[in-house]
Amino acid sequence: MGIRSPWLWLVVVLVSAALPSSTYAGVPTEQLKGTTDKIISILTDPELKGPSQAEKRRGLIRKTADERFDWDEMSRRSLGYHWAKLDDEQRKTFVKLFSQLLERTYMEKVEDYSGEKVSYVGETVDGDYATVEMKVLTSKNVDISVINKMKKNGGEWMIYDVSIEGVSLVNNYRTQFNSILSKSSFSDLLAKLREKISEK
Amino acid sequence: MRKLNIEFTVGLFLIAGIICLGYLSIKLGRMEVLGGEGYDVYALFSNSGGLKKGSSVMIAGVEVGRIKSISLDDYQAKVVMNIAEGIKIQEDAIASIKTRGLIGEKFVEITPGASEKIVPSGGRIRETQPPIDFEELISKYVFGKVE
Repeated sequence: MGIRSPWLWLVVVLVSAALPSSTYAGVPTEQLKGTTDKIISILTDPELKGPSQAEKRRGLIRKTADERFDWDEMSRRSLGYHWAKLDDEQRKTFVKLFSQLLERTYMEKVEDYSGEKVSYVGETVDGDYATVEMKVLTSKNVDISVINKMKKNGGEWMIYDVSIEGVSLVNNYRTQFNSILSKSSFSDLLAKLREKISEK
Repeated sequence: MRKLNIEFTVGLFLIAGIICLGYLSIKLGRMEVLGGEGYDVYALFSNSGGLKKGSSVMIAGVEVGRIKSISLDDYQAKVVMNIAEGIKIQEDAIASIKTRGLIGEKFVEITPGASEKIVPSGGRIRETQPPIDFEELISKYVFGKVE
């Protein structure tokens, strides 16, 4: 699961702050970089280090991620056509649980950040959509390609999907949710999500 | 009487063989009912890795179209698909290139999205996922360990 983690992205993003800003960067890249820098500063803040500060640190990271990730859009896309069948209440519950699941799955990976280098390789903007490609150089000297798919929402570019090494987070969950929902009900899916979140 | 029986059986097998051959050539030649009808959409992939003209386009494993053409567009693979009439593809559907079995032929799988907007004829499926290049992945982890 390591290389698929969308939050590895965060790690990647984090690193970019440490690097001198590269050649070309448009607004989406700038905004992504801003978020990354913020998270890196949280992770490297000596006052927030250690298990005793974990709660505060995670809270801050979560808050920063909330500013750049469009959880609604991500949840909607991950659920695919099943989304249309849900009422507002169900949608709200799902978005909440899904973002908690992602947090639970990837927070530890983000906290493992150990100076990986991030560089921004390219950006394409097409109307309200943009993709920002990054490369993360891990401590094992492996280059990992991370593509952030972003959508303009007001003045902010928000991430709605992350592709790591060509594997899309949304597509991964969409396939899984689809196979769960074809066999059982939506409340079963929620129960499964809750179970996953509370797993230790 | 017995001799006639053997000859008859051999003849039967021969005819069966010819029918099989005919079926195969129609199948492999893609002389299908699909194509010509339906509508076209396209998608840009960073790598079309082995996808061919005539390959299947599937939703949930059901064939809903065929690849019409593959060309280079700004150093990306532009794949034009002919989709059967009546199949709606949402604007946020994801087209991914997959392999049948471990080393089988490539096809495009579309996972339906949640958007109310439908990709029009001649429109683009924005979200794509290139095939996973195992060779590249393996070499990354093999050569990555040098240091």
